Amino acid sequence: MFKAKLKEAVICFGAGRVTLKYPFEPSPVPPKFRGKIEFDARKCIACGGCANVCPPRCIVIEDMGEVAKITFNLDRCIQCARCYEVCPEKAIWPTDEFETATPDKSDLKSEMIVWMSTCQRCGRCFETENAIDKFESKRWRGRGPGEANKHGIFPIKPPIDFTAQTSLVREPEEEKDQ
Amino acid sequence: MSTETSHKKFLRGLTEQFPDILGKLQEHIPGQLIAVLPREELPKVTKYAVNRLGARFVITVATDQRDKTGDFGISYILAFDEEKQFLVLHSNLPADDPRIESVTPDVPAANWAEREAYDLVGIMPEGHPDPRRLVLPDDFPAGIHPLRKEYAYNVRFPSEPGNAPPRKAPPEGSTVVPIGPFYPTLEEPAYFRLFLDGERVVGSDYRGFYNHRAIEKLGDSELNYNQVPFVAQQICGICGQVHSCAYVEAVEKACEIEVPMRAKYIRTILLELERIHSHLLWVGLAGHIIAFDTVLMQVWRIREPVMWLMERVTGNRKHYSSNLVGGVRFDITEEAADDIRRVLDKVETEFKAVVDAVLIDTSLMARLKDVGILTEENARALGAVGPTARGSNVAIDCRVDHPYAAYDQLDVQKQVQDGCDCWARTLVRLYEVFESIRLVRKALEQMPGGPIMAKIDGPLPADRIGLCSVEAARGESHHYVRTGEDNRPYRWRLRAPTYPNLQAVGCMIEGVNLADVPICIGSYDPCFSCTERVETVDVNTNEIRVYTREELQELSRRKTLG
Repeated sequence: MFKAKLKEAVICFGAGRVTLKYPFEPSPVPPKFRGKIEFDARKCIACGGCANVCPPRCIVIEDMGEVAKITFNLDRCIQCARCYEVCPEKAIWPTDEFETATPDKSDLKSEMIVWMSTCQRCGRCFETENAIDKFESKRWRGRGPGEANKHGIFPIKPPIDFTAQTSLVREPEEEKDQ
Repeated sequence: MSTETSHKKFLRGLTEQFPDILGKLQEHIPGQLIAVLPREELPKVTKYAVNRLGARFVITVATDQRDKTGDFGISYILAFDEEKQFLVLHSNLPADDPRIESVTPDVPAANWAEREAYDLVGIMPEGHPDPRRLVLPDDFPAGIHPLRKEYAYNVRFPSEPGNAPPRKAPPEGSTVVPIGPFYPTLEEPAYFRLFLDGERVVGSDYRGFYNHRAIEKLGDSELNYNQVPFVAQQICGICGQVHSCAYVEAVEKACEIEVPMRAKYIRTILLELERIHSHLLWVGLAGHIIAFDTVLMQVWRIREPVMWLMERVTGNRKHYSSNLVGGVRFDITEEAADDIRRVLDKVETEFKAVVDAVLIDTSLMARLKDVGILTEENARALGAVGPTARGSNVAIDCRVDHPYAAYDQLDVQKQVQDGCDCWARTLVRLYEVFESIRLVRKALEQMPGGPIMAKIDGPLPADRIGLCSVEAARGESHHYVRTGEDNRPYRWRLRAPTYPNLQAVGCMIEGVNLADVPICIGSYDPCFSCTERVETVDVNTNEIRVYTREELQELSRRKTLG
């Protein structure tokens, strides 16, 4: 018992002070750190690769023909780094920034509008090395309006707005006894 | 079927009782047999395999396959650990009458799995002894099973109060003590109702799943193959690598993708490093639960360099984001390997000192020894996994029994104790830290060169089934993937290790003193989530009152606004 306590005391005294002075002193991140993303509209070709692989739907692309609008909802970002891994033009990259706390979510939202033209090099395309990243999964396998194809897949896309209240199932019940 | 499989012992036992089953067994992938049976036979085979042949019940998978075949599917997954074999018993149930005879009366480990199948897909387990609602919230509309394909992942159902499951009645003369809904020592939500006779626990009731995040629904309706690993790693704040690894290995098995050896080794190294920091976290928490905060402070100090190491090696201290279908995303360079070796040397020396002190600390033993007994028999019957099972002399470890990643080349030693109490579970974890350090060193030494990502040329084939069990720090984490069209799984089912272990808690805490309940619950390293309901007992009238969400909201608004 006393021997154990003695050993524990030695461990405690041997440790010394380990608390960091952060946030009063900066806490640098290692080189491979995946921080908040930055992007450059001049390099972007709006291929949609980043939006296609983004797991939390943090990057959303809207193709409007003449222009393409790319929205970054960084409050949803999980720092997986897939976007800059697939970007063919290196138009998106990580920074060291990790202090992204904010009282206002809209601080973390940014939009980029890219003027589209036909690419002189390749038409309009985007190739990934990995075949299963290439296919787009836009359709949602569910039952809703529209005709099912032969696999029973319905050609509708659910709304990106995650807060939208869709009542596919039943109307809210009317108050009874009145 | 391969000749190796056909010589296995369990198969002889199975064919003796059910001669017709042999013709129905399909083996697409070694180690994983699938039998499609009529629904009358499935429960019989399950009961026989578990109770007579020593199979371990893993999980059920209920699938809404009406868009493909017009019916529902249910699969019971069993594991024969000694023979390194999974057996999937599948049955198709008509869409207008999805019923199956419950196996829970004979196989208690199936209790939650069958209730979950009813809650989420609507497959009725007939004759279930406790068919209360398990997963769905208290105000979820009755008769809606959200994992059916007609509901989109983002439908918000109208609140329908009054669907809360009835609470278990306490035995005559006992006092009810609620622990939770916000579990005090782990800072995580769980709601136990303990029935006490004096200071002794005579029974308990559990309600959880308050923070069910519908991740499986996202996986088969919205995410594609390579997005799922990143959502999978968010399932747990500690064993993220475990879940993403189990998912990708299941897909790779199903689609027979040959993963480069180096990628397998990298997965193994990250998994073992994760086990080291998870066990260190647990040792600290266990100390904290029994108010021995020196252990908490010192062990977490030792753990922190591992987290920093992971940040340097992978780019994030917790979510490594390293797995994709077919391999891993980043290499472990020679520099990183040296870094890992350096940190592990330090952790080993420092943790050795702690273990030396802890092992002779009689005050610690007084709190842990002979407390929270889970007998070997109960551990097997309730399907306990991981250190909880190994502390009760059940020698199961997926790293050996169902090898994945590069574990078949590493010669893992199972750590087993026969004390069946909290102390035994502690010892298992303490020794596993050193075993993991040894495994990482060995893996770094043996790691071959070469590519880290397999070449995937075309779409992944549909309607294949892959199973993968990964040994997390808490136990076996099981993933089931049925591949689909459209570049995404048709059904992705996962079972975290706390799922079976939590079912064993009722058994573990029966007969212990109230003061020992927190460490008993803590001793299986639980991982549970959030609630919106509080039970209070009016001391004057002895009346139990349950606040609904609306009342609580009202109450907190009133308090805030003064």
